[in-house]
Amino acid sequence: MMILKTIMIVEDDKTICEELTQLLETSGYQVVALTKFDHTLEDILASRFDLLLLDINLPKVNGEFLLKEIRKKTNVPIIMLTSRALEADEVLSMSYGADDYITKPYNPTILLLRISNILKRLERSADVLFYDDIKVYQRKGILVKGEETLDLTKNEMIIFSYLLNHRGDIVSRDELMTELWNNEEYINENALTVNISRLRSKLESFGMENTIETRKGQGYKLL
Amino acid sequence: MKFRNYFLDYWIEILLALFGYFIVVMMLFAFKVSNQVTMGVTVLFFGVSFAILLIGYVKRRSFYNKLIYHVEKLDKKYLVLEMLHEPSFYDGKILYQVLYEINKSMNENVKNLEVSMTEFKEYIELWIHEIKLPIASLILMNHNHKNAIDKRYEEQIRRIDDYVNQILYFVRSENAEKDYLIKDTSLKKVINAVAMKNKNDLLEKNIQFIVEVGDEVVLTDSKWLEFIIDQIVSNSIKYTREEVSSIIRISTKDYSNKIDLIIYDNGIGIPAKDIRRVFEKTFTGENGRNTSKSTGMGLYIVKKLCEKLDHKITIESVFGEYTKVILTFSKNDFYKIKD
Repeated sequence: MMILKTIMIVEDDKTICEELTQLLETSGYQVVALTKFDHTLEDILASRFDLLLLDINLPKVNGEFLLKEIRKKTNVPIIMLTSRALEADEVLSMSYGADDYITKPYNPTILLLRISNILKRLERSADVLFYDDIKVYQRKGILVKGEETLDLTKNEMIIFSYLLNHRGDIVSRDELMTELWNNEEYINENALTVNISRLRSKLESFGMENTIETRKGQGYKLL
Repeated sequence: MKFRNYFLDYWIEILLALFGYFIVVMMLFAFKVSNQVTMGVTVLFFGVSFAILLIGYVKRRSFYNKLIYHVEKLDKKYLVLEMLHEPSFYDGKILYQVLYEINKSMNENVKNLEVSMTEFKEYIELWIHEIKLPIASLILMNHNHKNAIDKRYEEQIRRIDDYVNQILYFVRSENAEKDYLIKDTSLKKVINAVAMKNKNDLLEKNIQFIVEVGDEVVLTDSKWLEFIIDQIVSNSIKYTREEVSSIIRISTKDYSNKIDLIIYDNGIGIPAKDIRRVFEKTFTGENGRNTSKSTGMGLYIVKKLCEKLDHKITIESVFGEYTKVILTFSKNDFYKIKD
């Protein structure tokens, strides 16, 4: 059983906070949400979490100020949330040490992607992943089993790593598509189907038969 | 200021003086004064009269000529009073004082308008940030209850968000304040943000999205540029042709002193008679009239933002074949912010 990552939400709009909580919980995170904003800084520093989602417009205190204060104490990843789409705000936040900056209304899939990317970057294990006894080198685009290696194209590797990171879960086509587009691979629905079937036959030739399961109307699942 | 006109302007005074002169001359004749005295009086009279006129003219000429000159040369004509000294003659003093008062009252008026404009703008910005909260909530709710909620809701929420963004950038483009920050920006990154935003539409309409952009970096405000490219790409998505498989291709061309970003689509194109007017406010043209969603504001705002950022935007098109929008970024270190 994997240890759940904890994400802290500091957002004063109740509905957004609730919906964010639900979104993150269904995506497999533990969520701590701040509900009172009287001692925001103290409350944040007293909590334990792996990533902080911090709104810029908070009652009584400015998010950028909080960010600066938190950065004095800890290096925990922080994503700033804001409805102000100003370049200056973003530059300021980043210079105060935010890891990312997302403008409302954010696309939930992209938000989740950014969160998982930051957490993955932190683990530093992104270079080599394991699928049972098979080593997956994302950068080189190869799978290694003992002496044998299997070359994957960039798209196939993006799909395979995403499935691997969500092993056992059903991954929708939309999620795969978002991941591919996020990596500047602007492919269409047909190309995705082709890529997946090519990935399947490559894996099969590598002795990994029926590893990717199709769930009709839902998506794919790596066994 | 011409002496002739000035002279003619004093015709009543001159007539009166001449009348007086004749009376004096008559009286001189009546008293049988010698001709020499009459000549002397005549010369004296005309000499003094002319001198009076001339002095008045010279005094006024230097003031009025300056006034006319500065009004012609200044591009902010209302500042003309700053360029002049108060004149020494009485009517000029009155004029100067009156101009000063008018100017002051105008300044106050403009100031009031400015304040109320700024207040209005600030309120609009605030309002936009507020409206974004319920929009964000709706999008999250939609996502959290994907199976229960009709997919068309998502599209409608996105449309609301697009319109809200349009007014946000309209307000920003209209304002004299600097709401932007120019720094090195990766074109690839901005295009990726636009692609992610339009992903669903592009996939749904099965439009091939081709990006042939390397690691070019341009000096711009990335948020503004994202809005600009988003408007152009949205248009390309809106105006596709049914007979062909649709393509949107974004590429760059690197010159020694500038970079061109070319956004090409093989959509319905723009009729030749409309193309010169596409950047005009509320201009919808033939294409816009055929799709009810057009407000004619998108490209107008784009043009204004480009002007503020000092990017050139040109559009070329063949009706029924393609549209090509070219954004030109100059390579200029002038604006660069050194970290």
